Amino acid sequence: MPFREKTAWAMIVILTLAGLFYYQKIIAISLTAGETAPPIVPLVIAYVVFIIIASIIVMPIVAAISGKEANAPADEREEMILAKAGNWSGYALGFAAVAGLFNYAWTQDGNLLFHTIFAGLMASQIAEYGFQVWFYRRGV
Amino acid sequence: MAKRPPITNRVKELRAAHDEMSQAALAEAIGVTRQTVIAIEQGRYSPSLESAFRISRLFGVGLEDVFGWEEGSPDA
Repeated sequence: MPFREKTAWAMIVILTLAGLFYYQKIIAISLTAGETAPPIVPLVIAYVVFIIIASIIVMPIVAAISGKEANAPADEREEMILAKAGNWSGYALGFAAVAGLFNYAWTQDGNLLFHTIFAGLMASQIAEYGFQVWFYRRGV
Repeated sequence: MAKRPPITNRVKELRAAHDEMSQAALAEAIGVTRQTVIAIEQGRYSPSLESAFRISRLFGVGLEDVFGWEEGSPDA
């Protein structure tokens, strides 16, 4: 498995775990309050810090098991994969943004708009790495 | 699944004819990863014109001796 595919798998796991942690808290707070929880900045910071720390721990391990390939720059095919995955993941973010806007227009719930857009950001990042894995395996 | 490019190649055959050159050696010689050489040989990836020239020059043959257009392709 190419080094960048391994890192993509690692990031999918890290981002999914971080997203589950974040939204499990938000849903629990919303259920307790009986309304959509407001944006909780410390929780957003915890989400970001978790991703940074997990990446710092996991990426050197992935690099160590990949040998010298880890230091090599992306070749022409890998650059195409990275670009195409980034492009496609933009659709996930766009979809979340449009869904959030329509939802806000319907419910006037600004907190829900925040959570929808933030979820879209998370989903688009996971989708980007998912598309990388897809293109590595199925061709670009 | 990604659409397979309608391009055939003889890279594997030419490697074998050149002292069983390894995929890793070919990859290093033309500046791509071994996985990219594998993808080219399996027809899952069409290399850039630059890499195609590098491959053909490495094997000392013409571009069309390495790559060809798949007969029967809708765009042929």
